Order: sequence, then C-alpha cells, then structure tokens
Amino acid sequence: MIVAEQKPLQEIKALISNAQNVLVVGCGTCVTVCFAGGEREAAILAASLRMSTRLDGKPQEIRHETVQRQCEWEYLDQIAELVQQADIVLSLGCGIGVQAIAEHFPQKWVVPGLNTTFLGLPSEQGVWVERCAACGDCILGLTGGICPIARCSKSLLNGPCGGSEDGHCEISPDTPCAWQLIYDRLLSMDKLHLLMEIQPPKNWRTSRDGGPRKIVREDLRLPTKEE
Amino acid sequence: MDQQVTRNREANQVWQQQIVCYACEHCAYAAADLAGTLRMQYPPSIKIVQLPCSGKLDVLMVLHAFEQGADGVMVAG
Repeated sequence: MIVAEQKPLQEIKALISNAQNVLVVGCGTCVTVCFAGGEREAAILAASLRMSTRLDGKPQEIRHETVQRQCEWEYLDQIAELVQQADIVLSLGCGIGVQAIAEHFPQKWVVPGLNTTFLGLPSEQGVWVERCAACGDCILGLTGGICPIARCSKSLLNGPCGGSEDGHCEISPDTPCAWQLIYDRLLSMDKLHLLMEIQPPKNWRTSRDGGPRKIVREDLRLPTKEE
Repeated sequence: MDQQVTRNREANQVWQQQIVCYACEHCAYAAADLAGTLRMQYPPSIKIVQLPCSGKLDVLMVLHAFEQGADGVMVAG
C-alpha cells in the first residue's frame, strides 16, 4: 500500500488560511488502511479545523467527504458538486490523489493534508515499513523476496557493505541489514548459489532516472473515434 | 443533546460548565439511574449520553461534544 502520514495541524491551517469554504476529501483505499486519510480521519480533521479556526476568531466553513479512490476520475465525479461549492480542496489522499483532483478540477485550488511517505506494509499494529521502491525492474527473484533497493540504505546489489553489523545497518540499530536478511533467507532455502552471480550496475532508467514513467496497454485501451 | 447544550449556555446567567457524560449502559448509566431513584441531585448542566459500551466511544464523539459547546467530556464505564 501507499503509506502516508498527516501533516501537522498548523501546517494544514496555513495551507487553507485564505479560504472560507474548505472541502476535506478523504480517500477510501491506501490511506484508509494506514489510518492517515480515510473517512474517519477526514471527519476528525474537519472537526479539529472547525474548532481551531473558531478559537482563532476566524471560523471557516469546513465540510468533509470521502471517495473510494481519489486516483480515478469516476470516483472524483461523485464529489464534483461539493468541489464546486468549495473555495479550496484539502485532499487527504496520497500525492496521486491530490494531483488527480487538481487535474480533474482545473479551476480549483487543491492542497495536500498528508505527506506521502513510501510503499510498504504494516509489520505490526501501528508500525509501517518500506518494502518497495517502484524501481521498475524487479529483482526479488534473485534475492529471496527481500528487496535490496528499498531495504538496503545504499540500495546495493552485491552483498552488504562494511556498515553491516550484527545483522543491522549502520544508519540505525533499528534497521535490519537487508543483505543479512537476504543471506539468511537464501541459506535457509538452500539457494546461496544465487549470490555467486554478480549483478551488473542496475539500469536506473526504469526508475525515476528515466523521468516520469508511463505504461500503455493497447489491449485495454478503448478505440478512438477514428478507429 | 446539541440543542440542549447550546440553549443552556445562552440561558444561564451564571456560567456553569457544560459537561457531556458518555456512560456505558451496563454500569455507569445504571448507576445514574440508581442515583435518580435515590433522589440524588446532580447539576442539570451534565448531559448523559447512553452508550452500549464505553468501548463504543470514538474520538469523533468527543470532538462533536466540544464542537457543540461542551466544556468537558466525561467517560464513565
């Protein structure tokens, strides 16, 4: 899932300070399950902002609504009327959701209520950890299902660096060394021979180094009028 | 409850704290009932909201009480 966390209330208040009517839009997918921007968080934030701005002597009209996914036009159509009535939209979606709203409602000013943080999973209740860097060229088949791109601090491809100590990364004793994890897993699966294959420098063009990415699936595209 | 809190705030000459009490129906609410049966008095500025369980309480309910003008929220269960 995409993991995000809410911005501090003061920062959010500054972002919406010039608007009288604010629409807080939650998202029912990733940020709901990481408790950052779902229906409940949108309601809590709207109530907090109403009270806070009232206490400041500058009460703002703040409503809230949640869509199933902010990153698809069809769901955004459902809130078109509410968006039109608002001076500003405060999106509690990830960065994709914020941009989707801005793109779908070009006349409306949209601000983010969350900091989109990483692609990861909840390792235990209340703890989320990064698992994928979306590099565009997955090598998990070589590393026992443990990603050295996302989980090694240096994204090394051929074994641990000298900073690996007792299974931990030098950046923090709380951070496991990804290459130690890979070694342990390959050992337990009797696949250590995979480590003998030296990985060449990674082609980062499939990652962010190649610029903004795009996938076109001709088999899924709808025919144009000319066709 | 919302209208009651607002009305009392306006009507009271002497300011009195408005307290919303969320009470579990199995214990605290039953205790409040018993207090009534025994003719025990408590200020009218305390509003009791019955919950099926105090575990049902959500932060949204607390925020809602404050938004509607409550000065304090009490959870009893």
